[in-house]
Amino acid sequence: MSTEQLLDSLAAHLQPVKPRRVRSDLLVLAAVGTAELALFLLFGAARHDLMLAMKLPSFWWKLGSLGLLTTIGAVTAIRSFDPATSPRRGLRTMGYVIAATLVLGWIIDAASAGGAALWARLMWRHGIDCVFAMTALSIPAIVALGVLMRRGAPTDRSGSALAVGATSATWGAFVFVFNCPHDDPLYIATWYAIGCAIIALAGRLLLPLINRW
Amino acid sequence: MTPSGDDWGALMAAAQNGNGGAYRRLLGEVRDWLARFYARRLPPPLVDDAVQETLVAIHEKRHTYDPERPFKPWLAAVARYKWIDRLRSMRRHATEELPGDLSVGDHESAVTSAIVLAQLLVQLKPAQQEAIRLVKLQGFSVEEASARTGQSESLVKVNIHRGLVKLAAIVQSQPHVD
Repeated sequence: MSTEQLLDSLAAHLQPVKPRRVRSDLLVLAAVGTAELALFLLFGAARHDLMLAMKLPSFWWKLGSLGLLTTIGAVTAIRSFDPATSPRRGLRTMGYVIAATLVLGWIIDAASAGGAALWARLMWRHGIDCVFAMTALSIPAIVALGVLMRRGAPTDRSGSALAVGATSATWGAFVFVFNCPHDDPLYIATWYAIGCAIIALAGRLLLPLINRW
Repeated sequence: MTPSGDDWGALMAAAQNGNGGAYRRLLGEVRDWLARFYARRLPPPLVDDAVQETLVAIHEKRHTYDPERPFKPWLAAVARYKWIDRLRSMRRHATEELPGDLSVGDHESAVTSAIVLAQLLVQLKPAQQEAIRLVKLQGFSVEEASARTGQSESLVKVNIHRGLVKLAAIVQSQPHVD
């Protein structure tokens, strides 16, 4: 087909479209997240000592840092679905926040009475359960963001995919905070980092394959 | 007279509302801009395909243009993305032959394209430059390139693959162009 014929064909079959808006995409994602969190809590998945845990700095450290990371990640990912916007700056900011989170966790840990063996504190059987739970809880976010990414036009597909994976991972972990009975910063830093890294890596590797345009 | 990016933005906004006439005019003008864009960056035989592919991408992703923002950066980002895509696709077609008239003296776009490609190639390792230049730009087979360079055939393939991956990464890391 010649270029002239192509242009005629594209113009002849033109349909009105609604311009994509970052705010609308964020609202869609917020709705998915709110629905997931509400269902999670309604089904009684919250930890039984939630009120007690809310008095501990480590609980707010978990919730605050994961909420901040999810927010930065969601804005970065959704903005990057515009062809002219790169996700790299947002990803760098996420890296800084993760580093600051870990330093803060270390300070909280150092301030508490230590002494137990590190290996015992890691409780690897529980840790693996936590990783599985976080992965399952990240699925709604990764599906929603994957659909929005496919509808958008990301020009840095690997960067957008990493932002989507990281956002979904931190969201899954954020929801899981309401269930997770562990408050030891060492445990949290280790297993949450492993869970988030797996989900972020899966997003980085898989999403570019289904988002070619 | 070349329309400004704002004119194109208004035409695209009208197209998003279903105005076929405005869209046809926009695509015609964008086609010429894309032809110039790719003539500077791709060997001449690849330009038409790249233009058509980008026009289809613009059509499919027209809802991602925000009428409140300038049109040119959006268009340049899509064109650049498709350019990188084409560089990546070159490594999947190891036996693709391109004609040897890439740098014929009186062919301005071919010369410009060759200059831009040469500027990119010098950022690669010499063995990668040589393999890409012989197989991808001058149309030699992998066997012939192997004989000319002294590299084994598998090394020629590896150098082409790695060189094109690096080339795409270099382009990706550069700020937006035009």
